[in-house]
Amino acid sequence: MGTKVKVTLPTKIELARLKRRYRLATRIQKIVKDRLSILVMEFLQTVKECAVIKEQLIEEFMEAYKALSMASGYHGNASLEQELMVSEMTVSVTAGTRNVAGVRIPLFEIEKRDALQAKMKNPCDTSSLLDHSTELSRKCLETTIQIAELENALELLGAEINKVKRINNALEYIVIPSLEDTIKYLTMKFEERDREEVARLKFVKLLIEKREAHAY
Amino acid sequence: MLTDSPSDNKLVTGLVADEFRVLNAQMPRKRKSLAELLDEDHPHVMCNDGSTHLFKKKELLWLKEHLDEEEHSALFLPIILEVTSNRSEIIIRTKGRSEVTILSQILDMPVESIRNTITLFRPQLTVVRKVLKTTTQYLFAPAKD
Repeated sequence: MGTKVKVTLPTKIELARLKRRYRLATRIQKIVKDRLSILVMEFLQTVKECAVIKEQLIEEFMEAYKALSMASGYHGNASLEQELMVSEMTVSVTAGTRNVAGVRIPLFEIEKRDALQAKMKNPCDTSSLLDHSTELSRKCLETTIQIAELENALELLGAEINKVKRINNALEYIVIPSLEDTIKYLTMKFEERDREEVARLKFVKLLIEKREAHAY
Repeated sequence: MLTDSPSDNKLVTGLVADEFRVLNAQMPRKRKSLAELLDEDHPHVMCNDGSTHLFKKKELLWLKEHLDEEEHSALFLPIILEVTSNRSEIIIRTKGRSEVTILSQILDMPVESIRNTITLFRPQLTVVRKVLKTTTQYLFAPAKD
């Protein structure tokens, strides 16, 4: 049961104002609940997606390391290290935001696929094994960016869910019940006042009738 | 304890105002057509709060693939998903047939637009949002008394 609102002026205007506040609070609670359900839905969807992408990332890293060790075996460690030292790779990522039910979530996108092409200084010295390893590393990088976006989204959505839950609980367990109680209390008080008024009027009427009867 | 003081009145009205401000912040000031967005290097729209909402190029290309050329300028993005508090369904207001084509392909079932509105159910919403993450936006509308 909610705490009663402390009413300083128990008037009918105050009752009307409380009723208006109650209607407003219930309306906003419905919207907050809707938002909460949408946020939870988005959160669960992101969790599922995150799990899939994580598995994919692990597999990709495993493949990339396997390919790298193959290339290392073929070229030799020193030669491979030399080739990789002179190779360059430019990554350009566009960062922006998208808005999900009032939550601003970061969005990363790799600009162009060609931008991720590694440039080997001496293509004659490199083999297809190294190219394959580079291609797999590129895939790993793309997935890492994807997972960064998802993990961030999860964190932000989780925090927002907590916040919205608190607002919903405040409305559901404090604001609305206390308004209900006060409205009930004031309505009962006014009814009681009306009943007293009727009783008083009846009593006055009886007195007048008695006085009139006595006069005749 | 809540009182009928002006500060407590402000608390409730402030809560309401804050909620609506947050909810409507993501609404775009002006929607752009798919054709316009495809021409942009960084496809985006400006939101009500002054922030930008970026679209994923992958999604735009998916839409381009699944629509005819003339429908590219008829489809305005982001698609607005209207969540009304006294209804469990989601409403999409449409202008042409492009939204119907897209949704029927995503849901793999025929979708009808009745009086320029498409009605979706919550489980369908999950499927739609999975494909169109950045090209759809939520709009929270209060229930009409």
